[in-house]
Amino acid sequence: MTDAAAELRGISKRFDAVVANDGVDLVLRRGTIHAVMGENGAGKSTLMSILFGLLRPDSGQILVGGVERHFRGPLDAIAAGLGMVHQHFRLFDSMTVAENVVYGAEPRRRGRLDRTAAAERVRELSDRYGLDTDPDSVVGTLSAGARQRVEILKALHRDAEILILDEPTAVLTPVEVDSLFAVLRRAADEGATVVLVTHKIHEVLAISDEVTVLRDARVTGRFRTAEATGSALVQSMTGREVTEVANAGTGEPGDEALQVTGLTVVDRGVHRVRDVSFTVRRGEIVGVAGVSGNGQREVVAAILGTGSAESGEIRLLGRDVASLDVRRRRAIGLAVVPEDRRGEGMAVTMTTAENLALGHHRTAPIGASRGWRRGWLSLRAQRDMARRLIADYDVRTSGERQPVGALSGGNAQKVVIARELSHRAPVLIAEQPTQGVDIGAIESIHQRLLDYRRDGGAVLLVSHEIAELQALADRVLVMFAGRIVAEYSRADATTARIGAAMAGTGESSRSEGGAS
Amino acid sequence: MTAATPTEAPEPRGAAARRLFRLAARHPGVVPVGAVVLAVLIGAAIIAAAGLDPITAYSAVLQGALEPDSLDYTFSVWGFTCGMALAAAIPLRMGEFNLGGNGQLVLGGLAATVVAGALPGPLAVPLAVLAAAVLAAAFGAVSAPLATRFKIPIIISTLLLSPIAVAVVSFLVRFPLAEAGSGVAQTARLPEDARMWSIGDLSYSNVGLLILVAMMAVFWIVDSRTAVGFELRVVGANRRFGAYGGVVVGRLALGAMAAAGAAAGIVGAVIVLSSPYRLIDGALLSPGYTFAGFAAALLAGGRPLLIPVTSVLFAVLQVGGAAMERTADVPRQLSDLLQGVVIIVLALRTVLDAGRTGRSEH
Repeated sequence: MTDAAAELRGISKRFDAVVANDGVDLVLRRGTIHAVMGENGAGKSTLMSILFGLLRPDSGQILVGGVERHFRGPLDAIAAGLGMVHQHFRLFDSMTVAENVVYGAEPRRRGRLDRTAAAERVRELSDRYGLDTDPDSVVGTLSAGARQRVEILKALHRDAEILILDEPTAVLTPVEVDSLFAVLRRAADEGATVVLVTHKIHEVLAISDEVTVLRDARVTGRFRTAEATGSALVQSMTGREVTEVANAGTGEPGDEALQVTGLTVVDRGVHRVRDVSFTVRRGEIVGVAGVSGNGQREVVAAILGTGSAESGEIRLLGRDVASLDVRRRRAIGLAVVPEDRRGEGMAVTMTTAENLALGHHRTAPIGASRGWRRGWLSLRAQRDMARRLIADYDVRTSGERQPVGALSGGNAQKVVIARELSHRAPVLIAEQPTQGVDIGAIESIHQRLLDYRRDGGAVLLVSHEIAELQALADRVLVMFAGRIVAEYSRADATTARIGAAMAGTGESSRSEGGAS
Repeated sequence: MTAATPTEAPEPRGAAARRLFRLAARHPGVVPVGAVVLAVLIGAAIIAAAGLDPITAYSAVLQGALEPDSLDYTFSVWGFTCGMALAAAIPLRMGEFNLGGNGQLVLGGLAATVVAGALPGPLAVPLAVLAAAVLAAAFGAVSAPLATRFKIPIIISTLLLSPIAVAVVSFLVRFPLAEAGSGVAQTARLPEDARMWSIGDLSYSNVGLLILVAMMAVFWIVDSRTAVGFELRVVGANRRFGAYGGVVVGRLALGAMAAAGAAAGIVGAVIVLSSPYRLIDGALLSPGYTFAGFAAALLAGGRPLLIPVTSVLFAVLQVGGAAMERTADVPRQLSDLLQGVVIIVLALRTVLDAGRTGRSEH
C-alpha cells in the first residue's frame, strides 16, 4: 500500500491483567481524515499513545511512510512527522501564540529567539490552513477553540504530516466545531493525514473519510464513511442495537422545588455568575447548556454550599439556604452529581462501598434501624447497600471492596450516580451525568433521570451535550459569560439556537434575568 | 526496557517475573518496610565507615532494648511513643500534620503537675490526667479555627505555636513553680497520693501506660466504626469530596486537633506523675517522644492498628541506642539518624507518587 501515511500492524498492549489493545491493525491513508471510535475503555487512547510514542506496544509494528519505527518517546514520533493535539491543552498561558507555537523548535537569530520570524511563521501557517489566529495574542486570554488552534499550529509548525486529535470537540461550541472541521478538511486537502479520536457518531459521519471502530481492545469495524450509517457504527461500537430514550414531555410539573433568584458569584474580583435566576419544579428536568467555564459550576457550587455567593437568594423546597451548610442543605433534600468526578465526586483510594456510603453514613440504614445507634457505622448495611447498587447500576468491579480509583471512568461515574440518586432527594443536580460513560450506560442513566422526573423529582441537568439536553430537558437554559442568555422550551430547543446562544451570538430570548 | 518485541513470541523471558515484581512493588506495605530496611542499611554503612562493626552495634541495640531487665523501661517508652504517635495520627487521618506535639506535651505535664500538687487526695491522679487532657486539647484545638477562619495551615500554626508553649512552661518551671532551694529548674516532688498507680513492682511501666493503650483502642474503634471516623478518613482521602458530601470539615478539624492535643497532654501527665514525680525543665522533650511518635505515625500511615507496631521500632531504637553507646561505642545519635532516614524515604514516596500521577494523567 503506497498511499499509507502510517500503519499499525497487530498492535497488542496490556496493563497487568487488562488487555488494552489486542492485535489491532490500523491503516491511515495519506490525505484522509480517519476517525478512530469506540466506547471508553475500548482502547482508543492506548492505541493513539502507542502511535505517538507515549507507550510502547507489547507486540506489533508501527510503520510510518512505509518504514518500521521504534519510538522511544514522543520526540521520536514528532521527528517522524506525527503531531498530537491532546484533550487537555499543554500551553503556556502567559506567553503569546507565536511563542507557544515555536517552543521547542524555535527560529533563531544569533542564538536568540527570532520573534519576527516566529510571528511570520504563525501567520503563514494560519493563512494556509484557515486557522485565523493572531500570533501576538496572549494564550491565557483565548477561548478554548482558539487554544486548540494554537495546539494544531504547534503540530503544523513541526511539519507534522499525521495529525492526531484526541476528543477535540469536547471543549468546543457547535460553531467552533464547524470551523475546526473546516481546518481539518483543509489540512487533509493539503496532503496531511488526520486521525480523529472520538465517540461522537454524528461527528464521524460529518467529517471523516474512513472509520475504524474499536471494542474491547479489538477492531470490530472498518468503514468508508460514505457507506456507513449511524446505526451500523453504534452496533459495531456496542455490539448491539441501542434505543435512545427521550422525554415524552408528559405530566404537569408541580411545586417549585429549587428557586434561584438574582444569584451573583464573584471569585477574586471576577464575576463568574451575574444575576442568574431560574426555578426548577417537581416533575421537571431543566437543562443548562453552555460551554464549560461559563458559570455553570459556580451556580451548582452556590446551590450545594461548597461555593459562596456574592448576592442572591437560593430556596430549596421553599427554605432559604443562605445560612445552611452543605450537610443541612443535603438533609433538606438535595443530591448532586458533580462534574469533577475524581476531584470532588469520589475518594479514589477508598473502597467502592465507602464511596457509596458518604452521605448515607449518618442515617439509619434501611432494615437495620434496630440495634443501630446514631453516630455508629453499620458496616453490614454499608456492604449490603454497595452490593445492591453495584448490581443495580451494573458497575463493573471485582467487588465492593475494590478502590474506586481502580475502576474505569465510566464505572466510577456509575458509582457517583448510584450514590446520589439513591438519596432520593427531591432536588437533583446532575452535571455532565454521562461523561465518560459507554453508550449503553448512557441510555440507562438517561432512563433513570426520566424516572426521577416521573417520580416527582426536580432535576437540574447541566450538560455540554446538546443532544442530551434535547432528549431529556423540559426547558433548556443557556449560560454564557456567567449569565443565562437564553431559555427555550422543549419544542424550541433546536441545535442551531442553543449553539448560537452558547457562543454568545444568539438573539436574547429571555425576558427576565437575561442579558442586560 | 527493551524495544517492542516482535509478534507471536508467547512471553519474552523474564517478563512474567518482571510483571510479578511490578505488582509486588505496588503493595502498600512495600514502601514503609523498604524505608526501614533502607534506614538500617544506611546506618550500617555509616557505622562501618566509622570503622566499627554494624552487626555488633545493631545487636547491642536489640539486646539493650529487649533483654528481660530492660523490658519494663522499653515498654514505658513504647507507651509514650504510641501516645505521641496518636497525637500525630489523628490529624494525619484527615490529611493534617500536627507538628505541635511538644507544646501539647509540656502543657499536659504542666496542668498535671499543678492539679496534682494542689489537690492531693484519692482523686488527684484522675483529675491531673483530665486537666492535662483539657489544657493540651484546648491548645491543640486553637489551630483548627486558625485554619478555617484565617487560612493558616494547621502544619504551620502548630509548628509555630508549639515553641511558645514550651517557652512559657519552661519559664513557669524555672520561676513561679520552681522548687524553693533547688539549684535545678524543677517543681517540687508530688505528694505520695498524687503519683500514678503502679503495676505490681514494675518501676517504669504503670497504670498510665494502660491509659495510653486504652486510648489507642478507642482511636481504632472510632476510626473504623463510627461516623466521625469515617468522615475523618473521607476528608483525608479527598477533602473536596468530604465537603461536597456534607462533612463539616472545620468542625472535624477542631475535634481532631483537640483529640490530638489531649493524647499528647495525657502523655505529659503520665510522665510527670511517674518517677521522679515532678516537672523538670526540658525533661519531657529531651527523650524525643514527639518526633519518634510522629515518625511512627507516618510509617503507619495513620492506621490505628499499625501504630503500636511501628512504635515498637522507635522505642527499641530509643532504648537500645543508649545501650549501643555503652557497649558498642557507637554514639546514640545514630538512632536519631535512622529515624531521619525513615522519614526522608517516606517523604520521598509522597513526592514520587505525585510525580507518577502527574505523568499518567495525559
